[in-house]
Amino acid sequence: MSASAGFADGAKVFADKGCGGCHYTDGPAKEKTIEDQLAKKGPELWYAGSKFKGEWLGAWLADPQPIRPMKYNSLTDKNAGDHPKLAAAEAGEVKDFLMGLVSKDVPAGVVTPKSNPQGKLIFIKKMPCSGCHKYQTGGKLVGGNTGPSLVDAGVRLNPDWILAYLANAQVFKPVKDMPNFDGILSKPDMEKVAAHVASFTAADAN
Amino acid sequence: MKMIRSAIVLTFAVVLLSAGAAKAADTETIFKFYCVQCHGAAGNGDGPNVSPDFPVTPRNFNKADEMGKLTDLDIKNVIKEGGPSVSKSPMMPPWGKTLTDGEIDGLIVKLRAFCKCTGPAAK
Repeated sequence: MSASAGFADGAKVFADKGCGGCHYTDGPAKEKTIEDQLAKKGPELWYAGSKFKGEWLGAWLADPQPIRPMKYNSLTDKNAGDHPKLAAAEAGEVKDFLMGLVSKDVPAGVVTPKSNPQGKLIFIKKMPCSGCHKYQTGGKLVGGNTGPSLVDAGVRLNPDWILAYLANAQVFKPVKDMPNFDGILSKPDMEKVAAHVASFTAADAN
Repeated sequence: MKMIRSAIVLTFAVVLLSAGAAKAADTETIFKFYCVQCHGAAGNGDGPNVSPDFPVTPRNFNKADEMGKLTDLDIKNVIKEGGPSVSKSPMMPPWGKTLTDGEIDGLIVKLRAFCKCTGPAAK
Protein backbone atom coordinates (compact mmCIF):
# COMPACT_ATOMS: atom_id res chain seq x y z
CA MET A 1 0.00 0.00 0.00
CA SER A 2 1.40 3.41 -0.89
CA ALA A 3 1.84 6.13 1.69
CA SER A 4 -0.83 8.21 -0.01
CA ALA A 5 -3.32 5.34 0.26
CA GLY A 6 -2.40 5.06 3.94
CA PHE A 7 -2.93 8.81 4.30
CA ALA A 8 -6.39 8.68 2.74
CA ASP A 9 -7.43 5.57 4.69
CA GLY A 10 -6.11 7.13 7.88
CA ALA A 11 -8.01 10.36 7.23
CA LYS A 12 -11.18 8.28 6.87
CA VAL A 13 -10.57 6.36 10.11
CA PHE A 14 -9.79 9.66 11.87
CA ALA A 15 -13.14 11.07 10.68
CA ASP A 16 -15.17 7.90 11.31
CA LYS A 17 -13.86 7.50 14.87
CA GLY A 18 -14.69 11.11 15.68
CA CYS A 19 -11.09 12.05 16.50
CA GLY A 20 -11.88 15.52 15.18
CA GLY A 21 -14.13 16.04 18.20
CA CYS A 22 -10.99 16.71 20.27
CA HIS A 23 -8.23 17.33 17.73
CA TYR A 24 -8.16 19.62 14.73
CA THR A 25 -5.94 18.77 11.76
CA ASP A 26 -6.22 21.80 9.49
CA GLY A 27 -3.67 24.49 10.18
CA PRO A 28 -2.66 27.17 10.74
CA ALA A 29 -3.33 27.57 14.46
CA LYS A 30 -6.88 28.71 15.21
CA GLU A 31 -6.69 29.80 18.84
CA LYS A 32 -6.24 33.48 19.59
CA THR A 33 -7.33 33.78 23.22
CA ILE A 34 -7.00 31.80 26.44
CA GLU A 35 -10.72 30.99 26.10
CA ASP A 36 -10.05 29.52 22.62
CA GLN A 37 -7.32 27.32 24.06
CA LEU A 38 -9.42 26.19 27.04
CA ALA A 39 -12.27 25.24 24.70
CA LYS A 40 -10.06 22.58 23.08
CA LYS A 41 -10.42 19.03 24.36
CA GLY A 42 -7.10 17.80 23.04
CA PRO A 43 -3.95 19.00 21.33
CA GLU A 44 -4.00 20.30 17.77
CA LEU A 45 -2.55 17.84 15.25
CA TRP A 46 -2.15 19.90 12.10
CA TYR A 47 1.66 19.65 12.32
CA ALA A 48 1.78 16.13 13.80
CA GLY A 49 4.02 14.84 11.01
CA SER A 50 6.64 17.44 11.91
CA LYS A 51 6.28 16.97 15.66
CA PHE A 52 6.17 13.23 16.25
CA LYS A 53 8.24 10.24 15.29
CA GLY A 54 6.11 7.91 13.15
CA GLU A 55 7.16 4.70 14.84
CA TRP A 56 6.27 6.07 18.26
CA LEU A 57 2.96 7.50 17.01
CA GLY A 58 1.78 4.21 15.47
CA ALA A 59 2.58 2.29 18.65
CA TRP A 60 0.95 4.95 20.83
CA LEU A 61 -2.31 4.97 18.87
CA ALA A 62 -2.56 1.20 19.38
CA ASP A 63 -1.71 1.45 23.07
CA PRO A 64 -2.07 5.04 24.33
CA GLN A 65 -0.28 5.86 27.57
CA PRO A 66 -0.61 9.25 29.27
CA ILE A 67 1.87 11.87 28.05
CA ARG A 68 0.66 14.58 30.41
CA PRO A 69 0.32 13.92 34.15
CA MET A 70 -2.72 16.23 34.18
CA LYS A 71 -5.83 16.09 32.03
CA TYR A 72 -5.51 18.35 28.96
CA ASN A 73 -6.23 21.98 29.90
CA SER A 74 -6.87 21.09 33.56
CA LEU A 75 -4.98 22.23 36.65
CA THR A 76 -7.02 20.06 38.99
CA ASP A 77 -7.71 16.71 37.33
CA LYS A 78 -5.20 13.96 36.77
CA ASN A 79 -4.92 12.45 33.29
CA ALA A 80 -7.33 9.51 33.40
CA GLY A 81 -5.36 7.66 30.70
CA ASP A 82 -8.60 6.99 28.83
CA HIS A 83 -7.58 7.99 25.30
CA PRO A 84 -9.38 5.73 22.78
CA LYS A 85 -7.30 2.84 21.44
CA LEU A 86 -7.12 1.81 17.79
CA ALA A 87 -6.71 -1.68 16.36
CA ALA A 88 -3.24 -2.26 14.90
CA ALA A 89 -4.24 -1.80 11.24
CA GLU A 90 -6.19 1.38 11.94
CA ALA A 91 -3.42 2.73 14.15
CA GLY A 92 -1.03 2.30 11.22
CA GLU A 93 -3.40 4.12 8.85
CA VAL A 94 -4.06 7.01 11.23
CA LYS A 95 -0.31 7.25 11.83
CA ASP A 96 0.22 7.55 8.04
CA PHE A 97 -2.41 10.29 7.91
CA LEU A 98 -1.01 12.26 10.84
CA MET A 99 2.60 11.88 9.72
CA GLY A 100 1.53 13.42 6.42
CA LEU A 101 0.52 16.63 8.20
CA VAL A 102 3.75 18.60 8.09
CA SER A 103 4.66 22.20 8.79
CA LYS A 104 6.95 24.30 6.62
CA ASP A 105 8.10 25.97 9.83
CA VAL A 106 10.16 23.01 11.01
CA PRO A 107 13.53 23.15 9.23
CA ALA A 108 14.87 19.60 8.94
CA GLY A 109 18.27 18.25 9.91
CA VAL A 110 19.21 21.02 12.34
CA VAL A 111 19.24 19.21 15.70
CA THR A 112 21.29 16.13 16.50
CA PRO A 113 20.10 14.51 19.73
CA LYS A 114 22.94 14.63 22.25
CA SER A 115 23.01 14.98 25.98
CA ASN A 116 25.19 18.01 26.65
CA PRO A 117 26.19 19.88 29.82
CA GLN A 118 25.11 23.33 28.60
CA GLY A 119 21.67 22.09 27.53
CA LYS A 120 21.30 20.21 30.79
CA LEU A 121 22.23 23.28 32.84
CA ILE A 122 19.66 25.43 31.03
CA PHE A 123 16.98 22.74 31.30
CA ILE A 124 17.47 22.02 34.99
CA LYS A 125 18.95 25.18 36.51
CA LYS A 126 18.95 28.32 34.40
CA MET A 127 15.44 28.07 33.02
CA PRO A 128 12.19 26.83 34.59
CA CYS A 129 11.65 23.86 32.19
CA SER A 130 11.61 21.25 34.95
CA GLY A 131 9.02 23.26 36.86
CA CYS A 132 6.33 21.95 34.51
CA HIS A 133 7.93 19.00 32.67
CA LYS A 134 8.82 15.59 34.05
CA TYR A 135 12.21 14.12 33.23
CA GLN A 136 14.48 11.45 34.65
CA THR A 137 17.67 12.01 36.54
CA GLY A 138 19.70 9.27 38.13
CA GLY A 139 16.82 6.88 37.43
CA LYS A 140 14.48 9.08 39.46
CA LEU A 141 11.38 10.75 38.00
CA VAL A 142 11.30 14.48 38.82
CA GLY A 143 9.75 17.70 37.53
CA GLY A 144 6.34 19.34 37.39
CA ASN A 145 2.96 18.16 36.19
CA THR A 146 1.29 20.79 34.04
CA GLY A 147 3.30 20.26 30.87
CA PRO A 148 3.70 17.11 28.82
CA SER A 149 6.23 14.69 30.28
CA LEU A 150 9.61 14.80 28.55
CA VAL A 151 10.81 11.50 30.01
CA ASP A 152 10.76 9.86 26.57
CA ALA A 153 10.95 13.05 24.48
CA GLY A 154 13.70 11.57 22.31
CA VAL A 155 11.53 8.60 21.41
CA ARG A 156 8.37 10.66 20.85
CA LEU A 157 9.43 13.95 19.30
CA ASN A 158 11.23 15.07 16.17
CA PRO A 159 14.36 16.85 17.49
CA ASP A 160 13.98 19.59 14.86
CA TRP A 161 10.44 20.24 16.06
CA ILE A 162 11.65 20.75 19.65
CA LEU A 163 13.92 23.54 18.40
CA ALA A 164 11.29 25.03 16.08
CA TYR A 165 8.81 25.06 18.96
CA LEU A 166 11.26 26.78 21.31
CA ALA A 167 12.24 29.31 18.67
CA ASN A 168 8.87 29.94 17.09
CA ALA A 169 6.15 28.78 19.48
CA GLN A 170 3.59 31.26 18.14
CA VAL A 171 3.26 29.26 14.93
CA PHE A 172 2.37 26.04 16.72
CA LYS A 173 0.73 27.17 19.96
CA PRO A 174 -0.20 30.84 19.99
CA VAL A 175 -1.80 30.42 23.44
CA LYS A 176 -0.06 28.20 25.96
CA ASP A 177 0.88 28.21 29.63
CA MET A 178 4.57 27.86 28.78
CA PRO A 179 6.60 31.06 28.42
CA ASN A 180 7.77 32.24 25.03
CA PHE A 181 11.55 31.85 25.03
CA ASP A 182 12.13 33.66 21.75
CA GLY A 183 14.14 36.72 22.80
CA ILE A 184 15.02 35.16 26.16
CA LEU A 185 17.15 32.19 25.12
CA SER A 186 19.68 32.64 22.31
CA LYS A 187 19.38 30.43 19.24
CA PRO A 188 22.56 28.49 20.12
CA ASP A 189 21.21 27.92 23.65
CA MET A 190 17.90 26.73 22.22
CA GLU A 191 19.79 24.31 19.98
CA LYS A 192 21.65 22.93 23.01
CA VAL A 193 18.42 22.49 25.00
CA ALA A 194 16.69 20.85 22.03
CA ALA A 195 19.64 18.46 21.48
CA HIS A 196 19.62 17.63 25.19
CA VAL A 197 15.86 17.04 25.46
CA ALA A 198 15.92 15.05 22.21
CA SER A 199 18.38 12.68 23.90
CA PHE A 200 15.86 11.69 26.61
CA THR A 201 14.66 8.13 26.47
CA ALA A 202 12.49 6.56 29.12
CA ALA A 203 15.20 4.01 29.83
CA ASP A 204 18.10 6.27 30.61
CA ALA A 205 19.18 8.51 33.45
CA ASN A 206 19.17 11.76 31.40
CA MET B 1 -42.59 54.89 42.12
CA LYS B 2 -40.35 53.45 44.78
CA MET B 3 -40.25 50.22 42.87
CA ILE B 4 -39.29 51.96 39.66
CA ARG B 5 -36.51 53.83 41.47
CA SER B 6 -35.23 50.55 42.92
CA ALA B 7 -35.31 49.00 39.50
CA ILE B 8 -33.31 51.89 38.06
CA VAL B 9 -30.77 51.73 40.86
CA LEU B 10 -30.52 47.98 40.46
CA THR B 11 -30.01 48.29 36.72
CA PHE B 12 -27.21 50.79 37.25
CA ALA B 13 -25.62 48.51 39.83
CA VAL B 14 -25.75 45.54 37.45
CA VAL B 15 -24.23 47.57 34.62
CA LEU B 16 -21.44 48.86 36.87
CA LEU B 17 -20.76 45.44 38.29
CA SER B 18 -20.61 43.73 34.93
CA ALA B 19 -18.28 46.39 33.56
CA GLY B 20 -15.97 45.77 36.51
CA ALA B 21 -16.38 42.03 36.24
CA ALA B 22 -15.32 42.00 32.59
CA LYS B 23 -12.04 43.66 33.49
CA ALA B 24 -11.49 41.48 36.55
CA ALA B 25 -12.24 38.34 34.56
CA ASP B 26 -9.42 39.24 32.25
CA THR B 27 -6.83 39.29 35.01
CA GLU B 28 -8.54 36.27 36.59
CA THR B 29 -8.26 34.34 33.33
CA ILE B 30 -4.58 35.22 32.99
CA PHE B 31 -3.83 34.41 36.62
CA LYS B 32 -5.58 31.05 36.35
CA PHE B 33 -3.93 30.12 33.06
CA TYR B 34 -0.32 31.09 33.80
CA CYS B 35 0.19 31.54 37.54
CA VAL B 36 -2.00 28.94 39.28
CA GLN B 37 0.07 26.05 37.93
CA CYS B 38 2.75 26.88 40.52
CA HIS B 39 1.27 29.45 42.90
CA GLY B 40 -2.09 27.70 43.38
CA ALA B 41 -5.63 29.00 42.94
CA ALA B 42 -5.55 30.72 46.34
CA GLY B 43 -2.03 32.09 45.78
CA ASN B 44 -0.54 29.97 48.56
CA GLY B 45 2.37 28.63 46.50
CA ASP B 46 0.89 25.15 46.30
CA GLY B 47 -0.07 24.73 42.63
CA PRO B 48 -0.22 21.36 40.86
CA ASN B 49 3.45 21.53 39.81
CA VAL B 50 4.65 21.71 43.39
CA SER B 51 5.58 18.25 44.54
CA PRO B 52 7.95 17.32 47.38
CA ASP B 53 10.87 17.32 44.92
CA PHE B 54 10.09 20.84 43.65
CA PRO B 55 13.38 22.72 44.14
CA VAL B 56 11.81 25.81 45.72
CA THR B 57 8.59 26.87 47.37
CA PRO B 58 6.75 29.23 45.03
CA ARG B 59 5.91 32.60 46.56
CA ASN B 60 2.85 32.63 48.81
CA PHE B 61 1.05 35.83 47.74
CA ASN B 62 -0.95 35.93 50.96
CA LYS B 63 2.08 36.62 53.15
CA ALA B 64 1.97 40.37 53.67
CA ASP B 65 5.30 40.42 55.51
CA GLU B 66 7.12 39.05 52.42
CA MET B 67 5.01 40.72 49.76
CA GLY B 68 5.26 44.03 51.60
CA LYS B 69 9.02 44.07 50.98
CA LEU B 70 8.47 44.12 47.22
CA THR B 71 7.68 47.29 45.31
CA ASP B 72 5.25 47.06 42.41
CA LEU B 73 8.28 47.44 40.17
CA ASP B 74 9.96 44.45 41.86
CA ILE B 75 6.85 42.39 41.14
CA LYS B 76 6.73 43.62 37.56
CA ASN B 77 10.40 42.74 37.07
CA VAL B 78 10.06 39.27 38.50
CA ILE B 79 7.07 38.51 36.29
CA LYS B 80 8.83 39.87 33.21
CA GLU B 81 12.39 38.71 33.77
CA GLY B 82 11.91 35.67 36.01
CA GLY B 83 13.21 34.85 39.51
CA PRO B 84 16.89 35.67 38.95
CA SER B 85 16.02 39.35 38.34
CA VAL B 86 15.28 39.67 42.06
CA SER B 87 17.88 37.12 43.18
CA LYS B 88 15.26 34.39 43.38
CA SER B 89 14.94 30.99 41.76
CA PRO B 90 14.85 30.55 37.97
CA MET B 91 11.87 28.25 38.60
CA MET B 92 9.90 31.50 38.37
CA PRO B 93 9.74 31.85 34.57
CA PRO B 94 10.33 35.03 32.58
CA TRP B 95 6.91 35.97 31.18
CA GLY B 96 8.01 39.19 29.48
CA LYS B 97 7.72 37.75 25.98
CA THR B 98 4.37 36.15 26.79
CA LEU B 99 2.35 38.75 28.72
CA THR B 100 1.81 42.42 27.89
CA ASP B 101 2.69 45.22 30.34
CA GLY B 102 -1.03 45.87 30.81
CA GLU B 103 -1.66 42.22 31.66
CA ILE B 104 1.22 42.26 34.14
CA ASP B 105 -0.14 45.45 35.77
CA GLY B 106 -3.44 43.62 36.26
CA LEU B 107 -1.62 40.75 37.94
CA ILE B 108 0.14 43.16 40.32
CA VAL B 109 -3.28 44.46 41.46
CA LYS B 110 -4.41 40.86 41.93
CA LEU B 111 -1.31 40.02 44.00
CA ARG B 112 -1.80 43.09 46.18
CA ALA B 113 -5.37 41.94 46.79
CA PHE B 114 -4.03 38.58 48.02
CA CYS B 115 -1.55 40.10 50.46
CA LYS B 116 -3.75 43.09 51.33
CA CYS B 117 -0.52 45.03 51.36
CA THR B 118 1.32 47.70 49.46
CA GLY B 119 5.02 47.78 48.71
CA PRO B 120 7.55 49.86 50.62
CA ALA B 121 7.18 53.61 50.14
CA ALA B 122 9.29 54.84 47.23
CA LYS B 123 12.64 56.15 48.46
